[in-house]
Amino acid sequence: MPRLVELLGKADADASRLFAVLRQDSKSESHVHVGDVHATDAEMALMLAKEQFTRREPCVSLWVVPYSAIGATSYDDPDLFTHVTDKSYRFGGSYREQQRPAGPRRKDR
Amino acid sequence: MSGVTEGVDLARRDVRDALAAYLVAFADDELLIGHRHSEWTGFAPDIESDIALSSIAQDELGHARLLYDHAGTLLSQSPDELAFGRQPAAFRNAILVERPNGDWGYTIVRLFLYDLADQVRLEALASGSHRPLAELAAAVRREEKYHVSYGEQWLRRLAGGSEVSHNRVQEAYNRAWPEAAGLFEPVKGQQTLLEAGVVTGSASGQMGRWQQSVRDVSTDVGLQVPSAGPQGGGRTGRHSEDLQILVDEMTSVWRSDPKAKW
Repeated sequence: MPRLVELLGKADADASRLFAVLRQDSKSESHVHVGDVHATDAEMALMLAKEQFTRREPCVSLWVVPYSAIGATSYDDPDLFTHVTDKSYRFGGSYREQQRPAGPRRKDR
Repeated sequence: MSGVTEGVDLARRDVRDALAAYLVAFADDELLIGHRHSEWTGFAPDIESDIALSSIAQDELGHARLLYDHAGTLLSQSPDELAFGRQPAAFRNAILVERPNGDWGYTIVRLFLYDLADQVRLEALASGSHRPLAELAAAVRREEKYHVSYGEQWLRRLAGGSEVSHNRVQEAYNRAWPEAAGLFEPVKGQQTLLEAGVVTGSASGQMGRWQQSVRDVSTDVGLQVPSAGPQGGGRTGRHSEDLQILVDEMTSVWRSDPKAKW
C-alpha cells in the first residue's frame, strides 16, 4: 500500500509538518478527520488544533497524525472498491429504526 | 487562609474602595492585553496561530467584562463606561500590556509572562474569602490554562528554533521583563484586601511565585532570566505614551455615540 505523501507528491519534510486533525465530539463517537494544521511537531499541532476545530463544536478529545505516517489507497485503482455482483443483502436497509432494541444508551461525554 | 468565611464586609468603605480599585486594575490589564492580541488578527505568522491568538484575545476581553461587571456594581458604572469612558490617566493597568506588539517574539514573551502572572493572581483571588470573586477566579483560571500552554509551546520553539529566533526572543525577554514584574506593583488599598482576606498572599509574595514559575520554564527552554528590577507606574496611573494612542483607537467607536446600544 502506498504512503499518502507519495500519492500527494509531497516531500517528506513537508508532510511531517502537516498534521491531520481528528476530533471526537463525545466519548461514544469515533474520532473524525475534520481538517489539517501546519505545525513543527505533534505537541504544537494539538495546541493549534484546539482553537481551529473546537471553537464552535463540542469536543472531548483530539488526535493529530503527521501526513508522513498515513498509508493510503490510490484513486487510480477504483477496482478495489467496486462490487461486481449484487450485494444489497449487506446494506441492512430493511431494518427499521423503531425495531432497534431499547437499552441504556451510552452516556455522552 | 481565610476561605472559610462566607463573604467580605462590603459595608466597610475602605474595603469596598480597595476592591473596586483592584478589580478595575485587573480588568484594565485584561482589556488591554486582549486588545493588543486582537491586533494580530489577520497578521500572525500562520493562519493557525492567527486564529488561536484571536481566540485568546476574545477570552481576555471576556474576562475583562466579568471583572468590570463586578467593579461596576461597586462603583455604579456600566462595564462599557469603565472600559471606554475613561481617560488614559485613569487606567490602572501595568505598562507591559499597553506596549505595541512589536514582533512575534515580543508578543509571545509578553503573553507568556502575562499569563503566568495572571495565574498567580487568579489563584490569590480563588483562595480568597469573597465567595463570588473566588468562584469567578476559579472559572476564569480554567480558560487561562490554554493561554499558558500556548505561550510556553511557542516560546520553546522560538528559543530552540534557530540562532536568529533565539536571539530575538531573548532580546524581547530582556525588554519585557522589568515591565512584566510591574504587573505585581500593588494597587491602592491592596493591603486592606489582604487583611480582609479577599486576596491571599502579598503582592511581593505573588511576584516571588511568578518569578519562580517563569524561571523554571526559562531554564527548561534555554533562555536567560534577565536581572533588571521591576518597572512599575501603571498602578498609579503613570503610563507611557503608547496608552494614549491605544485608548484613542480602542474607544473611537464608543465615543462616537456613548448612548448607543450594541
